[in-house]
Order: sequence, then structure tokens, then C-alpha cells
Amino acid sequence: MENENFSQPNTYFASDIAGEDVRVKIIGVGGAGTNAVDRFHFDVIPGVRLAAINTDAQALASSLLEEKVMIGRGVTRGLSTGGEADLGRKAALSDRDKITHVIGSANLVFLVAGLGGGTGSGALPVIAEIAAERGAQVIAFVALPFTMEGNRRRQQADDALRELRQVCDAVIPIPNDVLLQDVADNATVLDAFAKVDSWISQGIRSICTMLFNTGMINIDFSTLKQAFISRGGKTLFGLGKGTGEDYAKNALKDLFMCPLLHLPESATCADRLLVNIIGGTDLSLAQVNEIMEMITEKFNSSDSTVIGAVVDERLNQTLEICVIGTTDIGGHKRAVRPNPPSVKPRIEVVGEEFGSNTGEPEKQTEVAKPQEWIPGLEKAGEKGAKPPSSVSVHASKLAHASKTGGIPQNEFSFVQKEEQRGFFDKTERNLFEGQDLDVPTYLRRGIKITL
Amino acid sequence: MNSSKIIGAIEIGTSKVVVLVGESAAHGKLRIIGKGECASAGVAKGEITDFKLASECVHRAIVEAEQMANAKIEHVFIAQTGKHLESFYNQSTVTVMSSDNIVRRTDVERAEKDAKSKELPQNRLYIHHIRNPFLLDDRVVLGPVGMGGKKLQVGYWCVTGDKNKIRDHVGIIGGFGMRVDDMIISSLASGVMVASADEKKSGVIVLDIGSGTTDYAVYRDGFVVYCGVVPVGGDHLTNDLSLGLRINRKNAESLKVELDKAFIDKSEAENRIWMIGDKGIGERNIPVQSIVKIINARMEELFNIVLKQVNVHVPVRELSAGAILTGGSSRLYGIEQSAADVFGIEVRRGQHPEWISKDIEGPEYSTALGLFHYALTAQESNSERDDGAQKQKSAGFIKKILNFKL
Repeated sequence: MENENFSQPNTYFASDIAGEDVRVKIIGVGGAGTNAVDRFHFDVIPGVRLAAINTDAQALASSLLEEKVMIGRGVTRGLSTGGEADLGRKAALSDRDKITHVIGSANLVFLVAGLGGGTGSGALPVIAEIAAERGAQVIAFVALPFTMEGNRRRQQADDALRELRQVCDAVIPIPNDVLLQDVADNATVLDAFAKVDSWISQGIRSICTMLFNTGMINIDFSTLKQAFISRGGKTLFGLGKGTGEDYAKNALKDLFMCPLLHLPESATCADRLLVNIIGGTDLSLAQVNEIMEMITEKFNSSDSTVIGAVVDERLNQTLEICVIGTTDIGGHKRAVRPNPPSVKPRIEVVGEEFGSNTGEPEKQTEVAKPQEWIPGLEKAGEKGAKPPSSVSVHASKLAHASKTGGIPQNEFSFVQKEEQRGFFDKTERNLFEGQDLDVPTYLRRGIKITL
Repeated sequence: MNSSKIIGAIEIGTSKVVVLVGESAAHGKLRIIGKGECASAGVAKGEITDFKLASECVHRAIVEAEQMANAKIEHVFIAQTGKHLESFYNQSTVTVMSSDNIVRRTDVERAEKDAKSKELPQNRLYIHHIRNPFLLDDRVVLGPVGMGGKKLQVGYWCVTGDKNKIRDHVGIIGGFGMRVDDMIISSLASGVMVASADEKKSGVIVLDIGSGTTDYAVYRDGFVVYCGVVPVGGDHLTNDLSLGLRINRKNAESLKVELDKAFIDKSEAENRIWMIGDKGIGERNIPVQSIVKIINARMEELFNIVLKQVNVHVPVRELSAGAILTGGSSRLYGIEQSAADVFGIEVRRGQHPEWISKDIEGPEYSTALGLFHYALTAQESNSERDDGAQKQKSAGFIKKILNFKL
């Protein structure tokens, strides 16, 4: 549980540290995954490497990526798995060495795949497991098949998802059904899939930017690790972008309307929330504050929100927000203790940080104030404060945190339980002819709802 | 047994618990003297998910009803629904024993016993045996005793449920020191309230659309020929609206309830209705078209599922008395039309008899009211009912439950 003080040498540029400490690898698995990673164009971020793993030699050959690995030659003879998850799994198991090699020394692995097919559903859990065994932080972005693709693929996807949740630090599922809601009526299939890719790539990019770019508020690797400390729970993932005069508001609006946050299976409240804001040079701290306030309120994550804010000089009057949250399994531990977000402390802290890459002293001031997002990602009490800049925290300060942070504040109406966990969460799945009836009909049928 | 009895009809529904108290007098008359109601917790899709929470709600409703009735409930009848209910048709054939080919009582008993005694898997339990007409040499007969023929057939619709889930229901009542006299599945209870004997003769389907489930029963020739449960109800609609329109559940719920002609009529073009948006983000307006699309998709699917399930046994189009909708969600605006579109038969909303007082005349009370019918039936002798729903002897049923050791 203790922080590993990854970020201690923080007097250097963050990217230097990254060079030493965080080695990111993005691996596309299977056809859909490879295609997605192909389209990422991540070369702009140094230290991030891309790779593709597939059973299908032909598909691999057409990929633009440098590192391409074919698995399961003895199983599929270089052909695809034909949608058989078992074959995918066998292929991965037969080439463990190759996979290990791909993962290499990476300590942050993003896996990207479409579930439902053979390689995605079969090989991905194996790959995730190997990566996790090697001590890497594993975050999987997976696209789930359209309902219209039928039972078999859905079943395979479900099974794979369940396995992934066991081995990955975070699994972010993106049901393809939601695409039909989000693309124009005359959109082509390619447009639609490009949309998923862009969602995934924004998510990954957002995390990477937080880690590598120097920003107003940096997030380091150990903070990220903490954010994904509990496995197997639900995740939430949402993106928002705003432009124009009122860009901060627009971005928030866009975020709250993000279709990915309104999925039957996504969590609506987070026990730990990672928020990344990318804005232009005109982004003010007051805005950051406002945004954080709204977000913590929305996701009821007031005492466990970690923020990263990055300034991208190319952006002007534009703001991008990315939220990634995780929930504890089963429990709803914070039903009764919401803290109204307090705004003040951050301004000064961030201000200081901005100039001087965060040191210990700032934290002192911060810890002494009522906080909402400062307390750590871990269950409050045992280990409290996590400063925004997320340098590791000393035990001495934790005592402080628990004292000040523990002030009971009751004025807040807390979110109802069913809103936290999705309404039909605790019930058995409601299957009829292979379709889950608890999932809205319009979503399964791809009926587009205009808002 | 002419002394009056205090009967409690209890429905543990997904959205609320309803307890009605009735005082039965001689000649099968009953007066409803108390009502208790409590918003449910710990119940989803008709099944109990949190025993303690659900118990508390039921208790509150019982206390309220007893206070209003100023009487203690002596006999309890509860409704049962949920996906775990299954039914199958079991038929037996016996050869008429006597040499003169006249059917005797013993032949009938033998046929009935055979048809009812199909063994169930370990975790299943019979809830109902619903007799269908006798066939004597393939002729439909109602009372075969004394008639001539060689081969006597009888079939039962057997409704079974999951032992544990039934035990949850019975256990909650048992927790208050009350004994459950009998359990009736919701579809049948609602069916007796809204369908007339004539309609049951010509063929009718009754759908009780609740919050968590849709229970339906199909009648033909005066008999129950099929019944089932689809675990989809008003809650799903709320959930769909909340996800689809990206509004919170509370707003979705009020939108669903307030949806009425005024909205739809104004909406023919691209009309928008005003809505309170998510907190802090201000208000938003939502196109009526989207609301209608979401609701229609869900309703159409629900009715199609029912249609598919029923058509296997009875072609829905042949039900000449049409379909009757009841249950809380049948209040939804425009629901008859979407049912009619799918079923291709006439659809109407169920009406309770006029003697039922104002505060319990709504469609959401069909099931609880229907329980009284069965309570009275049970009280009378074992004479057969017009709808042919013959209950297995209650004592036996309850004994089975109690044997589990609650």
C-alpha cells in the first residue's frame, strides 16, 4: 500500500523521469485491436511504444506498426482463429515466450482488442495475465460486439471480459452498440469503428499525457497505480471536449452527455476517479477548480479524485476532459459521507506547483485544509492525503489528513444506491434468445436517440 | 365454517408492497377493510434480493393494513412472480376400467393423479396445477363421470417455482409469526379480476405489467391454457429513458409517469419538452420523438416476447376477446396501441368491478385483489372453479415449504 516514491526526483522534468520509470506499451490484440492501434499515431509521445499481436499473418502484414508478432503458428497456421476463442487461447499459450518478449520491460501496458472474435476473446486474457505476472500495470480497452452479431460472440466476449477483470488493473469495455447512438445516420462502418478507436486512443493518450507531459498538475505513475488498486470492479470512462467562449462549461456538458458514461454496465459513481484536463494556455485555475467541483459532485468521488491538468500550447479556447474511475467490488462504502468540494486550497497549491515542480512544503498547507480531492485514493483513514501533484505522501501528513478530512458534512444529498451501481446490477442476467433484456432495447437494436 | 375470517392478501411487488385485509362472511362474500402500502426495497424484477430490507417493508405494510382494519390477519395469501416461475403441460391418459365403458370416479382420479405427479428437479416446487378440460375419446368434456368412452385424457398446466425463491416469500411472512395459507402466481390473480367469464370462454390474454415483471395468463374455453412471466416491466422503461436521454432516474421516472397525450400531440414535428437536467448543468430540453422511440422499442419488444412465448401454445390471433392490460405500468400512455400493433388483436385496459372502492381501483391492485378470489375459493369446498384453476391442497403446499426449515 505504501507509495513507492517513484516521483521523488521531481526536480527534473517529468519526461526525464518517465524515461527512467514509466515504460508504456500499447498492444493491439487480434484484428480489431491491431486496426485500432494502427490508427493511433502515438509516435508523438516519446517513451510510448506500440505493438500488435495477432494470429492472422495476413492481417498483421498490412499493419503499419513496427513491432508485429504472430502467435499460434502451430495452432492456426498463420490464419485467423475463425472466431474460436479456444483457438485464440491456445495460440497465446503456445507462444508465451513471444508475448513475454513483446511486453518486455514495460511497466504500463495498454491492451486494445475487440472482444467476441477468437484472438481478442481467447488470447487477450492470456496476454493480460502474462503482463500482470511481469509486474506491469495492465489497462485493457475492449470493444464489445454489437448485439446483432449474435449470441455466440456475445458469450465469448462476456467470458473474456470476466477473465480480464480478474487479471487487469482496469478493464474499460466499450460496447459497439453505443456507436449507433453516436454516429451520424449516414455514417459508414469505417466511420463508426474510427469512433471507437478515437475514444480508446483519447483515453490512452490522456493517461500518457498525464504521466509524461509537464503540466499544471502532474500525475505520476504511483498515483496511477493507486487509482487502479482494486481489481474486478466496474469502471467508468468518459470523454468531453468543449470549444468556444464557454469552453469549460461546454466541455463539462459534453462530458456528462458522453454516451460512454450512460451505458447499462458502466458505473455512475467512482470510488477512485482520475481526471485529466487538457487545455490551452488560457486555461485558468479557477476553471480547473470549477471543473473539478462539478466532476467530483457528479461522480460522488469527492474524497478520492486525482486530477491532472496539462497545458497544450496548440490549444486555444478548447478543453478536453477525460475521466477514468474505478469502483470497489460489491461494496458501496461511501454512501453516507460525501464532502462538499472546497475550492480554495487548490488555487494556491497549484499556483506554486506550476512554477516549481512540486515539493513537499506545498502539501503541508494543503493537508491542513478541508479537502475533497486531495485525500488519497486508498480508503480514507489508513492513509489520507494525496496532493494533486501526487508526490508520495509521508505518514506524518496522513495523520493530519484524517483529522481535517474527517469533518462530517451532511448537507449533501447523496446519490441513491441504484444510481451508483446501475439499476439491475444485483440481479441475475435477464436473457431472452441471447439478448440481455435489462439492456435498453433501443441500444440493442441500434435505434438512434437524438438529444 | 360460517364465522367470519380475516384474510390478508399480500403482494410483495418490485415497486411496492401491497397488503389488503378482507373480512369474509358467509356465502363467499368479502369486505375489504384495510389497506397497507409501502415502497419496496430489496426487491428486483419480482424477486427478493435483500431479505432484511424486504421484510421491513412488508412488515410496515402489514402493520398499516391491520391498524386500518382494526383486526389481526388470520389467513395470508401471497402472490408470486419472477423469472424462476416455469410452467409445463402434462397430460395423462388412462383406459376406462369398467367393462361397460362408463367413466367412474376412480378413472378420473387416476388420470388426475398421473397428470399431476410428474417429478420435478430437486430445487423446484409445484405452485399450481391448473386443469384443462378432459378428453374422452378425444372429445372435450367437462365432467366425464358417468359418460361412456374408452380413453380418458386429462392435462394440467403445472406451474413450478424455484424452492429458494418461494421460500423467500413465505419466509418473510413467516418472520412475523404468520402462516401463509397459499401462494398464487400474479398472472392468475390478476386474471380473475379483469377478465370476465365470457371473455375467458372466447379466449383472452391478460397481461399484468408491473414494475419489475410482466405476468400473463392465457384463457380459452374458460380454462387457463398458458401463463408466464417476462422479467421486464416499468423499471426497465425508466432505466431505458434514464440511459437513453442521459437524465437521472428520478427525472426519468417522472417523465414516464407524466408522459401523456399532451406531450405526444404537440410533438408531431420536432417538438421538445422541457426537462430539469442533471444537477448543476442546468436545464435541457429533450425531443419528444426520442422519448417515444425509447418507449416504443421497449414496449414493442416486451409484447413480442409475450407473443412469441404464447404462440408456441396458443395462436394469439385466435383469442377473440383480445388482450387486457393491467398492472401499474399499464397506465403508460399509448400502451394499448403498441400492444395492439404487436398482437394484432383488440387490446383494452382492465377494469375492476365497480364495488371496489376508489383507493384500490387502480390497475396496480389487480394482483392483490385477485388473491381474495383465491382465498374465497379455498374457503369454499373443493368444488371446481369456473376457470379451472384448481389449487393443490394448501396444507400440502405449505407443509412442503415448512419442511425446509425456514
